[in-house]
Amino acid sequence: MYGGDEVSAIVIDLGSHTCKAGYAGEDAPKAVFPSVVGSIDQMEVDDPDNLERNSGSVPESNSTVRTSESEKAKGKRKLYVGSQALGYRRDHMEVLSPFMDGVVADWDIVDTIWDHAFRECLLINPKEHPMLVAEPSSNSQQQRERAAELMFEKYEVPALFLAKNAVLTSFASGRATSLVVDSGGGSTTVAPVHDGCVLQKGVLSSPVGGEFLTDCLMKSLESKGITIKPRYSFKRKEIRPGEFQTIDLDFPNTTESYKLYCQRVIASDIKDCVCRAPDTLYDESAYSNIPMTPYELPDGQTIEIGADRFKIPDVLFNPSLAQTIPGMEGFVEIAPSLRGLPQMVLESINKCDVDIRRELFSSILLAGGTASMQQLKERLEKDLVEESPQAARVKVLASGNATERRFSVWIGGSILASLGSFQQMWFSKSEYEEHGAPYIQRKCP
Amino acid sequence: MDAKDILGLPKNAVPIPQEKKPRPPKEPQRKPDGISRELYMLTGGVAPVMPSIDVSQLKKRPPSDEKVTWQWLPFSNSARKDNLQLYHWVRVVNGVPPTGDYPFAKYNKSVELVKYTDEEYEKYLTDPKWTKEETDQLFDLCERFDLRFIVIADRFPSSRTVEELKDRYYSVSRAILIARAPSPADVSGHPLVKDPYNAQQEVERKRAFSMFLSQTKQQERKDAEVLAEAKRITELRLLAKGADESELPVASDVSHDNIGRSIIPADAVSPTNVQATSATIASPTLVVENAYAPASLRMLRVYSRTFGLEQMVQAVSSSAGLRTIKRIEQTLQDLGVNLKPKVPTKAVCAEHLELRKEILTLLNLQKQLQYKDAEGSSYRDGSYTDMPGTPKRAHRAGEQDHAFIPECLSFGGERVGKRDQKRKGPGRVAETPGASYTLSTNDWGQLKIYYC
Repeated sequence: MYGGDEVSAIVIDLGSHTCKAGYAGEDAPKAVFPSVVGSIDQMEVDDPDNLERNSGSVPESNSTVRTSESEKAKGKRKLYVGSQALGYRRDHMEVLSPFMDGVVADWDIVDTIWDHAFRECLLINPKEHPMLVAEPSSNSQQQRERAAELMFEKYEVPALFLAKNAVLTSFASGRATSLVVDSGGGSTTVAPVHDGCVLQKGVLSSPVGGEFLTDCLMKSLESKGITIKPRYSFKRKEIRPGEFQTIDLDFPNTTESYKLYCQRVIASDIKDCVCRAPDTLYDESAYSNIPMTPYELPDGQTIEIGADRFKIPDVLFNPSLAQTIPGMEGFVEIAPSLRGLPQMVLESINKCDVDIRRELFSSILLAGGTASMQQLKERLEKDLVEESPQAARVKVLASGNATERRFSVWIGGSILASLGSFQQMWFSKSEYEEHGAPYIQRKCP
Repeated sequence: MDAKDILGLPKNAVPIPQEKKPRPPKEPQRKPDGISRELYMLTGGVAPVMPSIDVSQLKKRPPSDEKVTWQWLPFSNSARKDNLQLYHWVRVVNGVPPTGDYPFAKYNKSVELVKYTDEEYEKYLTDPKWTKEETDQLFDLCERFDLRFIVIADRFPSSRTVEELKDRYYSVSRAILIARAPSPADVSGHPLVKDPYNAQQEVERKRAFSMFLSQTKQQERKDAEVLAEAKRITELRLLAKGADESELPVASDVSHDNIGRSIIPADAVSPTNVQATSATIASPTLVVENAYAPASLRMLRVYSRTFGLEQMVQAVSSSAGLRTIKRIEQTLQDLGVNLKPKVPTKAVCAEHLELRKEILTLLNLQKQLQYKDAEGSSYRDGSYTDMPGTPKRAHRAGEQDHAFIPECLSFGGERVGKRDQKRKGPGRVAETPGASYTLSTNDWGQLKIYYC
């Protein structure tokens, strides 16, 4: 690379759905795992199963040190991180997320997640590697200081940089100015980036994200009488060659949140496989006769999905559609204020200075897991062309590779941290000790 | 080969297959080893006469007598103010690490800002709209963000527009420059002094731009329609100008030009005005051609009816060619009608126009009739070959068709007022006087050409 200089920085992106971590300079993160933890309150369980704990990575020579560290109860609860740990059902295990309304609420969980990423997935010593952390585009000063404190005090990193998600996505596509539509698990954020900096006044966010769509799908299936059985609740036995029989298992001590988590995993897989964005606004009558697509659930049940294939993705464009799904009544209170994706894009652009609007229109980037939905880019482009002024040429860009769309924030971070001219921008430990955490506002714009 | 074409000699087909045979065996022999095929093809695919490159040497590396290792070493970056030491891979030659500054440090460029002291602020830079703290904040942000004013405006604590910030920054820098210069002549060449920032113009420009950008598709379409209307009206005006040299067209042209000019700037106000007037002038349907003439006439306050009639006549006949106009006039003369009515009152002129229109229609239909007839005769010639009587009939029919027309015209004068000179059902045949064309319905079942 001409402009590159590898200093073995680590890029970590804690999203609302998955956490991505890896080395800078690579083109995909090494560690990808769900950003929720299983938590068991220490007081109830005697905890005989010390050894059969989690992640399944190769035990190191200092495994005893490792186990004792993760054994340390955080406020009298044990946390299990990683897809393997979460995949194993435990009694009384609650599934917790560090985020509340898109903002980090529980820093202990964040700490555990980072710890798992560094020590168990990437197998590094954080003291030796500068860290590039991706943060939400509208992060408050307090959150940033907290993150800096955590990194420097606990992990003793030599250098740190906090970069906004939208800026990293923009860099991943090689642009300094663009409008980033990041449609991830927990929320959808539209942020304009100009010359490498996010314009805070134009950042808009909506809680309609991938997880919301998954919930809609689950409720819709339930209303049709289809129950999704979590994987732990049944066992398939082969009674004859090729034929399986499903036996229900009962675990009375399983928490509701865990059950919901497992069901969500299955429902999101259905959503990935089957859902497509419709070409025009969803209309009940138009889609009542389309052919149904079959999908086989893990327990052997085959379900047919018809109009829901198009109805669920259309919630992104028309959030009030979610009210028609039975079971989503809780959504009614916040619904009127929500706008669809094209309206958010237009509003965001109109909040920006006139001179850059044209450029923003012609470089709209799609990022995030939900953006990998089929036909989403075409539909968004079509809707925007209708509503936008003639003088502006609307162009929605998304990398064709689904992996790149999902990890575009991480990839942008990887590019940024391995540039030679970035090495002067790190917020180093000595600067932290000299000026304190608020200095991060100056160093990381 | 071309010569053979010119001379008309037949091309020889024999040598061609022979040419193809020696070619394939030659190809595998040509590519040498050592360089890729594409690269070799760049030289034309033919080996040079004198081998300028020794192909086998291309892949060899120069023999190095130095020991090169790669080591993970710390480095310091002069662009940093602290002494952070990060590590990277370094190419170490013979145990000596490379010296010199970090190669990327030279890219650490920042904008040269003018810094003012407090006394200078008191003396030159006070402004009623700006406090010192705000000005200080502004300059601090300018330095941090390298004069990217859009980002600065975004981060500025109190909400000021980009133009205000730019204005303050540039005026402060300008004042400082002028104040610090020993004499005004020294800095007059400096771009800040020469072209001061004009905030008012920027505001205007942005307002116009935002209006331009905020036009929705419907408005764009309406604007396009209005512009097309205006274009048509200008063309008519040019015709009118050519037809009559009175000063009235000049006045109308001038007034029209004004309207044209007001349409062009992308101002939201005037398009709606013109829209309103054009709506009153004419509905934007293209079928009614007469709409244009009244449109242009209404521009003129006063005009003579003859002139007006001229315009309308031209409007009516604009779709027809010169020959058709001549025929219309010929027809009018045959009918005994004056080309220009003797007593040009409104009613008379209207009737005159109607007459002209109907004659035009008549002529068009006659032309179509002739075409159909020709088609029909060619069709009949093809299909009725076993009926010897038919060509004679066709011939007779053709003659009689031709005979129709002047007979029609001869009594057409009485019936011109009615507007039914179109193809009608058999009922019409009975009404009209004259019997020479009755055979049209009976003789040929296939073609029903009857004309009344």
